[in-house]
Amino acid sequence: MKSYYDRPLLKGPHWGSNVVTYLFLGGIMGGLGLISLLSDDRPEPEMKKLRKATRYTAFALAAINPPILISHLGRPERFLNMLRIVKFKSPMSLGVWGLVLYSGAAGANALRELADDGVVPRMLRFVAPSATVPIQALLGAFMAGYTGVLISATAIPLWAAGKRHIPAFSVCSGAASASALATLLSTLQGNHDVIPRLERLEMAAAALEIALVADFRKRGGAVTAPLFEGRVGKRLRDFTIIGGIVVPFALNAIGGAFKLPKSIDALRSIAASTLTLVGGYVLRESLIEAGKLSANDPHVAFRQPS
Amino acid sequence: MATGFFTDATLCIGCKACEVACKQWNELPSDGFEFTGNSYDNTSQLSGTTWRHVDFVERESIDESGITASWSMLSDVCKHCTNAGCLEACPTGAIVRNEFGSVFVQPDICNGCGYCVVSCPFGVIDLIEAVGNGDDAGKYALATLHEDRLNDRKTAVQATGGVAGKCTLCYDRQRIGMVPACAKACPTESIQFGEIEELRERAKHRVETLLERGVDARLYGADDVGGGIGALNAFFLLTDSPEAYNLPVEPVLPSTRQAMGYAAAAAAALALATVGWAIFRGDGTDA
Repeated sequence: MKSYYDRPLLKGPHWGSNVVTYLFLGGIMGGLGLISLLSDDRPEPEMKKLRKATRYTAFALAAINPPILISHLGRPERFLNMLRIVKFKSPMSLGVWGLVLYSGAAGANALRELADDGVVPRMLRFVAPSATVPIQALLGAFMAGYTGVLISATAIPLWAAGKRHIPAFSVCSGAASASALATLLSTLQGNHDVIPRLERLEMAAAALEIALVADFRKRGGAVTAPLFEGRVGKRLRDFTIIGGIVVPFALNAIGGAFKLPKSIDALRSIAASTLTLVGGYVLRESLIEAGKLSANDPHVAFRQPS
Repeated sequence: MATGFFTDATLCIGCKACEVACKQWNELPSDGFEFTGNSYDNTSQLSGTTWRHVDFVERESIDESGITASWSMLSDVCKHCTNAGCLEACPTGAIVRNEFGSVFVQPDICNGCGYCVVSCPFGVIDLIEAVGNGDDAGKYALATLHEDRLNDRKTAVQATGGVAGKCTLCYDRQRIGMVPACAKACPTESIQFGEIEELRERAKHRVETLLERGVDARLYGADDVGGGIGALNAFFLLTDSPEAYNLPVEPVLPSTRQAMGYAAAAAAALALATVGWAIFRGDGTDA
């Protein structure tokens, strides 16, 4: 095959662990928006506790995630340059605005919970009308998905070939990770009654995620090799596919099917959630690392995915 | 009036005067020396600080006189696409199309996010890493980059966080009626600068002449290259297939994939929301 001394045709991403962390936490923020909506305005006490936990956590993540994103810019104040314009053709621009708006909605919803708890004056509830809950959920879906659109709308062949799959399984991974985090928080709160529901949501997200990842592998062909083979592929298989999806799914299925002793069930639940979170992080990390490898192969870049 | 480059591989002698003139005029630092063993090419690629790069394509052919080797040299450069991936991707609006139709990075607005780097279908634009930031600490002295040229005091400060760099089509020179440094320095007129329509006419005549002489000549980017990119304001005359010069045969404008991506994400989100609704609120006790 003809090439120019096998020199890379494309330039790979300069993104490191801070961007990976941003993508991972952005997915969780998205999933928490959904859980916050699902548990909204329900009479059961366990739903009320879950609602509070997701809203406070979503707000906390909305506070720490932007600094992580900003840290990769070298000089923090340059983040403000992103706010000069809104550009519909740039997922990076839309994503920044999505993050800003999500943070606003998450802040309003967290403030409402604080007002209900009497931590802040009750009159402050007016900043969060009930519409902010579905708004946060909608913006959350965007937060979980746009990072997938962002990387597939590039010239990197692996990412480009995943224009259908990557955004979809990013959403699933975000929902699964958010369910796992909510499960851990509920365990800490002693809110055990809500955990079966969270685990079922996590299983649904994990099932769709693994189906999409497998389909990407099958249809993507040679261009997906950097993600599924070699060092990155092994890590993805061990920590995401097996450790982060299959094993937690099995653990959750066991928890749903059998009545285990309380302490063992708590351990099972904590293990499943932790593994899911690790798997979610490694998925994003593998995508970025495999993107770097994909950029180095000129042969897949000569004819770019449509 | 859009201006551009017509770079002709049949006239290039591989002297690299364009590379040197570009570095000198734009005050671009060295990328370091690496002996590649790839013919006479130790520059290897375009980068944030190398805006012209001469390809050395070595070819062998066997005929009745035995094995003959031939060279084809070509000075590669930013294509200044009609629809530019970097320009569309840029979230700050730092990358603009200027009055000469060129794709131009405003270094005082660029915040170094790096999204343009992965959005160029030709692998041209790259980040110029900052002084004291990462492995290249101290390697580049970027304080003067563009400072005098664009008379923008903010630029030097801006550069200390890393900025995107690529060919400006010598915006500063064009503004005062000068020819870009590479075209000026080229001793064989392999690099021709001018009004884009006129250059295309000239290129088409050139190809006709070469084909009459039996030279395998073809244009790259004089017309639409496909994939939504359109024609290139810096286009090339090649004597081999594009891959030989590390040019994509079928480049694609990355933003064309967005609609499908958002649709896929929305479908997944809707599916999970439906399942979640059934799990959390599907028990008939909705408040």
